[in-house]
Amino acid sequence: MTPALAIKNYTLDYLTAAGPVRVLHDISLEIAPGEVLGLVGESGSGKSSLAWALMRHLPDNAREIAGSLHLGDTDLQRLGPRELTKIRGRRLGMVFQDPSTALNPTLSIGRQVTETLIQHRGLSQREANALAIDLLGHVELRDPAAIMRRYPHEISGGEKQRVIIATAFGCRPDVILFDEPTTALDVITGARILKLFARLREETGVAALYISHDLALVTRVADRVAVLKHGRLVEQAPAADIFRAPRHADTQALVQAVPRPEHRLVHDKSGDDVLLAASDIEVHYGRAKLFGHAPPPATRRVGLDVRAGEILGLVGESGSGKSSVARALTGLARFSGTVRFDNRVITGARDMNAAYRRDVQIIFQHPDASLNPRHKVGEILSRPLKLYGGNAAEIPRLLEQVRLPASYAGRWPHQLSGGEKQRVAIARAFAARPKIVICDEITAPLDVSVQAQIIELLLALRAATGTAFLFITHDLNLIRQIAHRIAVMRGGEMVDLLAIEDFDTDHVHPYTSELMAASPVPVG
Amino acid sequence: MTELLIRLIRRPQGLVGVALLALIAIACLFGPALAPYAPEKIDFLGRFRAPGWQNWLGADQFGRDILSRLMVGARSTVPMALIATLAGSAAGAIIGVGSAYLGGRTDEAIMRTNDAVMAIPGLLMALLLVSTLGNGTGNAVVAIAVAFAPGMARVTRSVALNIRNQDYVKAAIARGESALWIIFREMLPNVMAPIVIETTIRVSFAVMLFATLSFLGVGAQPPASEWGLMVADARQYMYQAPWGLIAPSAAIALTAIAFNLLGDGLRDALNPKDER
Repeated sequence: MTPALAIKNYTLDYLTAAGPVRVLHDISLEIAPGEVLGLVGESGSGKSSLAWALMRHLPDNAREIAGSLHLGDTDLQRLGPRELTKIRGRRLGMVFQDPSTALNPTLSIGRQVTETLIQHRGLSQREANALAIDLLGHVELRDPAAIMRRYPHEISGGEKQRVIIATAFGCRPDVILFDEPTTALDVITGARILKLFARLREETGVAALYISHDLALVTRVADRVAVLKHGRLVEQAPAADIFRAPRHADTQALVQAVPRPEHRLVHDKSGDDVLLAASDIEVHYGRAKLFGHAPPPATRRVGLDVRAGEILGLVGESGSGKSSVARALTGLARFSGTVRFDNRVITGARDMNAAYRRDVQIIFQHPDASLNPRHKVGEILSRPLKLYGGNAAEIPRLLEQVRLPASYAGRWPHQLSGGEKQRVAIARAFAARPKIVICDEITAPLDVSVQAQIIELLLALRAATGTAFLFITHDLNLIRQIAHRIAVMRGGEMVDLLAIEDFDTDHVHPYTSELMAASPVPVG
Repeated sequence: MTELLIRLIRRPQGLVGVALLALIAIACLFGPALAPYAPEKIDFLGRFRAPGWQNWLGADQFGRDILSRLMVGARSTVPMALIATLAGSAAGAIIGVGSAYLGGRTDEAIMRTNDAVMAIPGLLMALLLVSTLGNGTGNAVVAIAVAFAPGMARVTRSVALNIRNQDYVKAAIARGESALWIIFREMLPNVMAPIVIETTIRVSFAVMLFATLSFLGVGAQPPASEWGLMVADARQYMYQAPWGLIAPSAAIALTAIAFNLLGDGLRDALNPKDER
C-alpha cells in the first residue's frame, strides 16, 4: 500500500552569512493512511522546518540538498505554484500553533471557513454555509450559526483552534500537519482539543503528522513516535513503547526530563514563620471612565501566605488571575487589600520601600522580554547591585551561581539561548539577596530538558540561600514535584490551598481534580 | 564608534549614504575654497548662461555661477537644518518616552497639549516664533525645532507604549529604579530605531522649511546663497533658465536622500541583534 506521506532521505540546509547550516539530516519517515505519527524534538531540532518543507513554504535561503517528499503518488518537490494551491488545504491540511494569529482578524469566522470550502470543494456559497455550520457543530462549538457571524477577537483561543481544526478536516485532506496545536492554550482547553482530535480522527481516518515538544502528550495522541534531535532522527517506535523502553540516549534524556508528580525533588519541611501574608487582595486594571464603570477586579479578595523557606505553588489556567497576584505583590498593579511583610503593613505600591523591593524579587515568564535587549549581561546584573548595595566585582560570582561562565558578562542577551537568558534573569533576582522570589511561569517557554535544569538550579539556590519561592505555573505535574503547598485559582478566586500531602486525597475542590485530570501523569 | 561605522558601510544603503554625506560635509567645510568663482561675482555677459564649460551648472539672472553658489550655500543650509532637526527630535523623543512612562492622566495632559501644538501647521508655528523672537538664522533654528518636537513626541510615544509593557521595564519598576533611569536607560535605547529614521526624514523637511522662511524674508537674506533662497529666486525665471531651479532643488533632494539612506543604514547598524 502506498503510504499517505513519505519522506525519503530528506536533507535541508539554510544558507546564512556564516555558511550553510544543516537543519535536517537524512530524514526518512512514512505515514500509512489513517496513521498518526508524533514528531518530538526540542526547539531548534528542525521539526517545524520539516512541516514547512512539506507545505512547500520554505524561506528563500533554504536549500534542499537531497531526498524526496511524496504525498501519496504526488511528488511535492515537483509541483508548481498553481498545482500547490490545489494541494494545500485540499490534500494536505495544516493546524498551526497559535490560533490567535492563524485567523484573519478582519474577516468573520463564517467567511474564513466557507472561503476554504468553496475554494477546495467547489461548493456554492449556500452549500458551503450549510456545511460550515455542520462542521463547526461537529467540533462541539455551541450555536455554530452565531459563531459564523463573529470575528476572531470575539471568541476564545480554544474556540479559534476548534474553528481551524474544523476547517482543516472540512476539506477532507489525506494528511493533516499539526504544529503544536495545544501549546498556546491552557491545560484544560488543550486537553479538550486533544479529545476532539482523537474523536475526529476515529471518524475520518485521516493520517496526521503531530509535531510537539511534549513527549508525554504525543504518546497519548500518536500511534508511532519519532524523536528528532539537532535535525537527526534518533528513534522511531510505537507510542506505547517509547516511554517504557526508550532505546536511544537522547530519548531517555527526554523521558527523564518529563516531570512526574510522584518523584519529589524537595524533601525538607518549610519553616513555620510567616514571611509574607497577603489578604483580601483585589487587583484592579484601568480606572472608572467619565462614562462607564471600572472593569471588575482581576482577583476577588484573594489571600495567601508564604512561610520562610517555603515553595508555594500557585496554579490555574490562563486568565485565572495568578499573574495578577504576582504583579500586586511586586507593586506593578494597583490593588486593594493588605500585604504584611517584615512587620510592616503595605496597602499599595507607594508603601513598598527599598527594603521590600530588595527582599521580594520577581522573575518573569519570557526571558526575551525581561532582559533589556540594549543592555549587556554585565549591566543587567550590575543594576540590583547598585540599587541594593554591593559592587560590580560580584558579577562573576553571580554568573557562576547560575552556572554560566563569567565571560558572559560581556554578551548581549540575544547571543544567549532561552535557558541561558532565564539563568541571567534568575541571577539578577538573586543579586538582591532576596527573602522571597516570585517565579511567574518561568519554565513555560522552555524545553522540557532545559526546564528540568532550571528547576534543579532553583532548588540548589534555595538550599544555598534559604529563599522562599512563590512559584506560579500551569503545569500541575511540575509543581507537585517541588511545592510544599499548592494554591489553585480559577476566575480570580482561590478555590484550594492545600499542603502537598493532602493533594491526592478526595476532598480537593472539583476544579482541582479537573485540572489534575487534564494534566495526566505520563504512562510507564 | 569605528565599529559602528564599519557596520554602517558594510551595507549598500549605508555606504551610499555615508559617501553622499561626506561630499556634502566637504562642501560645508571647504566649499568657499573649492568653488571656481566667488558666489556673488556678477557677470552681465553671462546672464542665464546654460550649463557648459564656463559655468558647469549654468548661471543665474545676474550671471552668478550656480555651482559656486551651491558650494558656498551648503554651509548655511545643511548644518542649520541638521541642528534644528536634532534639537526638535531630542526634545520630542524625551517628551514622548516620558509621557508613555508616566501614563494615565499625566500622559493624557501631555499628549493633548502636544496635539494642540501639532494642530498649528509647522510653517505657521515657525513664522509665529520668528516674528516673536526676531529675524535671523538662530531664531529660525529654534522655531523649526519647536515645530518638529510634537510630531516626534507622537511617533516616539506610540513605540514607547509597547516598550512600557515589556517585562524588562516592569522588572526595573519592581526593582525600584528611578523614573529618570527607566526613561533614559531602559526605554529610550529601545525606541531609537524609529527616532533615527524619523529624524533623517525630517532633515529634508527642515531644509525646505528653512528655504520657505528665507523665501518669506524671515530666514536667510539675499544675496546669501542659501539653497532654499536660490530656489525661490530662480522661480520667476523658470522657463528661461530651468537650471537655476533644478540645481539647488537637486542639491536639496540629494541631501534628503543621503540622510534617508544614512537613516536606513543606522537602523540596521544600531541593532545589536544584527551581528552576522
